[in-house]
Amino acid sequence: MNDRVIPWQPTVIAGPKQALLATPETAKLMLRKSKRPLFVVGPYAKNEPLMGLIKDIAEAWDLPIVTTADTFKSFNENGIESNYYGIVEITNLLKDPEWKGIRGEGPHDLVMFVGCIYYIASQGLSTLKHFAPHLKTLTICKYFHSNADASFPNMKDEEWENYLEKMSEK
Amino acid sequence: MTPNSTKPKEFKDDFWKAKDIKFSFGEIIEDNSPASEDKETFVGPTLKPSATDLRSWDMKLLERYPPFYAPFCDMCCLCTYGKCDLTGKKGACGIDIEAQQGRFALLTCCIGAAAHSAHSRHLLEYLIHKVGPDHPVDFGNNIDIEAPIIRTLIGKAPKTLGDIREAMSYMEEENLHLLSACHTGQEGNHLDFESKAFHAGLMDHIGMEIGDISQIAALNLPKGEPDTSLIELGIGSIDRDKPVILCIGHNVAPGSGIVDYLEDNDLEDDVEICGICCAAIDITRYSNRAKVVGPISKQLKFLRSGVADVVVVDEQCIRSDVLEEAQKTGTALIATTDKMCLGLPDRTNDEVDSILADILNKRIEGALILDPEKVGEVATKLSLSLSKSRKSIKTLPDMDEIQEEASKCTQCEWCVRVCPNNLPIMDAVSSAGKGDLDAVESLYNNDICYTCGRCEQECPEDIKIMDLMSKVGENNLKSQKFNIRAGRGPIQDVEVRRVGAPIVLGDIPGVIAFVGCTNYPNGGEEVAKMAEEFLKRNYIVVTSGCGAMSIGEYKDEEGKTLYEKYSGDFDARGLVNLGSCVSNSHISGVAIKIANIFAKKPLEGNFEVIADYILNRVGACGVAWGPYSQKAAAIAAGVNRWGIPVVLGPHGSKYRRLYLGRPDKEDVWNLNDMRTGKVIKGEPAPEHLLFAAENREEATVAIAKNCLRPTDTNKGRQIKLNHYIDLNKKYFGVIPEDVYKYIRTDKDIPITYKNDVKEILERNNWEPRELVMEPSILDFPEEE
Repeated sequence: MNDRVIPWQPTVIAGPKQALLATPETAKLMLRKSKRPLFVVGPYAKNEPLMGLIKDIAEAWDLPIVTTADTFKSFNENGIESNYYGIVEITNLLKDPEWKGIRGEGPHDLVMFVGCIYYIASQGLSTLKHFAPHLKTLTICKYFHSNADASFPNMKDEEWENYLEKMSEK
Repeated sequence: MTPNSTKPKEFKDDFWKAKDIKFSFGEIIEDNSPASEDKETFVGPTLKPSATDLRSWDMKLLERYPPFYAPFCDMCCLCTYGKCDLTGKKGACGIDIEAQQGRFALLTCCIGAAAHSAHSRHLLEYLIHKVGPDHPVDFGNNIDIEAPIIRTLIGKAPKTLGDIREAMSYMEEENLHLLSACHTGQEGNHLDFESKAFHAGLMDHIGMEIGDISQIAALNLPKGEPDTSLIELGIGSIDRDKPVILCIGHNVAPGSGIVDYLEDNDLEDDVEICGICCAAIDITRYSNRAKVVGPISKQLKFLRSGVADVVVVDEQCIRSDVLEEAQKTGTALIATTDKMCLGLPDRTNDEVDSILADILNKRIEGALILDPEKVGEVATKLSLSLSKSRKSIKTLPDMDEIQEEASKCTQCEWCVRVCPNNLPIMDAVSSAGKGDLDAVESLYNNDICYTCGRCEQECPEDIKIMDLMSKVGENNLKSQKFNIRAGRGPIQDVEVRRVGAPIVLGDIPGVIAFVGCTNYPNGGEEVAKMAEEFLKRNYIVVTSGCGAMSIGEYKDEEGKTLYEKYSGDFDARGLVNLGSCVSNSHISGVAIKIANIFAKKPLEGNFEVIADYILNRVGACGVAWGPYSQKAAAIAAGVNRWGIPVVLGPHGSKYRRLYLGRPDKEDVWNLNDMRTGKVIKGEPAPEHLLFAAENREEATVAIAKNCLRPTDTNKGRQIKLNHYIDLNKKYFGVIPEDVYKYIRTDKDIPITYKNDVKEILERNNWEPRELVMEPSILDFPEEE
């Protein structure tokens, strides 16, 4: 078994439907195809270098950012615009096909996650897998998330940062 | 007429013509129990309610707070049709993923309720055996309502231990129906599963109340006194030079048997009795000489240390491999309940000397003894014998050995991957292999690693990581001494009279209950820090079980625990340790008492009115920061049904179901004003009924927000919003944009933040709205 594409916490395996392995190229393809993507960013992204990388990706793709837990404070202090929600709150909104989205322009059709606590993100991705057929989920953490539609593999920091840098090249 | 009933003509048979019939009556028992109140009592519509009797209330809650599901598993694996894949499909029995999640919520709550309730039945019958069925349930002059939950659901107060059996039987019958609904081919709607899960939660609360009032009455535990003794807490407080008996679990009966035997034989000074988990808390309510090792997170650490000569286990939250762990250090083990027999021979009816001889000579691995008095004698005698021979075993391997083993680490990282919290175990072990213990120490302190032992099971090099953790703890024994206030049990009626108004009106900004287990995302200190934050802000903080112990394991910069700094009064800035898991019933109990004592709402058969009152008026919020057990899930479902919101730690998302409000859907929050008969535009207060936060900072803000209630006065709302805004500024750096939803008139605006809030009001096109006089989510009464 390839350790890169089994869940980081191996017992997270949920059933027959597993995420596709995403590379920066396939992730960018998903963003390109999306009409109303959303970027959800968790508390592991409060510090550099992740915060700067996220800023670059969001700017390159014009992504609205939702910060979970207390991530908003660090982003706000560093001049990065975001909206704050709890991770379960934003997941709850995303599963509603009638929710008008962060910009009020209509429901999101792709949500990209990074920096949330692994197991709570995994649970949220399971919610969206089952109850939000109208949107795709993509994770660009350094951990493989089997409950997403597509996920980066398990990686070491250096490779991961390289992946994220590629994500900001449109 | 039922099939077996007697028809009138059957009285005409020969029996009635018989001669010389002798009738014999048993002993006529005079009822000397405290006189019941003879006054006529209003009785509401739901005496001994079934799940469906309260279904309409549940549906109202679920409309406001629809279930949010996060399936652990895509499949159903319960019957032989399957496994069935439920991703966008139905199972072979017809169940879909929503109903399956509802079913799991119900099943989880049934397990939790059964654990408390079976424990309570066990305890009740033992105590009746010990002190008799006529033993009074009398908590003195300060508590007239000893059993608010039983009174509301059963319609009368138990005057004696024997009276409690009626509530027990009702609850057991309900639990049976609820569990049966989980069977394949029964309930099929997720909301009905949720309604039944609420009912299981309610049954859990009645079960917990039965357990605690029984033990308070029969064992003379504290009866609501705020100033109970300070108890020694922590691994460092255990005197290792004495024979040590360790009790693990939740049932006080064997522990009380040990205390009695020690006292009867003048051995209190010679033997150390201590406990882990709720058994510890309850034994210290029985005897303040007992000590608390700590919460469940201390279990493997303390077992591995080998300090205990005898381990006595009862039920719930005990490691299933406790016998194997005890054997590693030559510790004797006694199992004491039918819930956990561990494969041991039943020696209940054997002579004490024979049991001792067989254990000491290792003819048996331990014994199952179902008689608490006999447990007391056997455990004591075993500890006295074993402590002499075990002196050499009471130490872990020396540091050189530990370091040598740690140096085998190949840095495969699987310890990190299987750790529930992805803790940096690998770095800590490999550093220890080089002689640097700082990283291990930082994981040990504050239970950041709660020693579940998964890393050790996974390690391909068989490094004894838990031994390493215990050894590091041994190095810092002196610092592992704390104090915890003994559990006081219920809140006194007089206290409810004093604080009822300030709580309902909002002058006291909230009552926050830190309960539950130790599956913390980042150590136990976070619970204490949250408690401290709210204590400083004049909230009432109540706590129980492992949460109470975690709060006790924290010292401030002056070296004091919060129990030493704050009083045990149920009042603003009070830190109230209620007791063990079963004492959680006093949390819903005090909310019920506020409705009854302060607002004069009759309790008997009046569940919906009481719960509606609590939901709209009592600014209480439960917090289970480290929930792991099914019992915690049942407790939460119970308080939710009573109208109290609960904030969980991130691991709580693994319960698969939360109840989330939608602040953006305004109509959901409308309130019926029972005084004016008008429908009034409401507010998301409380915003969520069951919510999981990702970290402490998010949780702290959510807790403050979930103490808001529609009935707050302008002054009370200002106070509550002031704390909400303050905390939001502290942890998010800004004034919360949604504050406009909670401003009803200008008078609600906190003075400190007036200008900033006004800007937010303008930005959101705010307009003042009518205040609701008597808020309710119940229907208006039908006109006759």
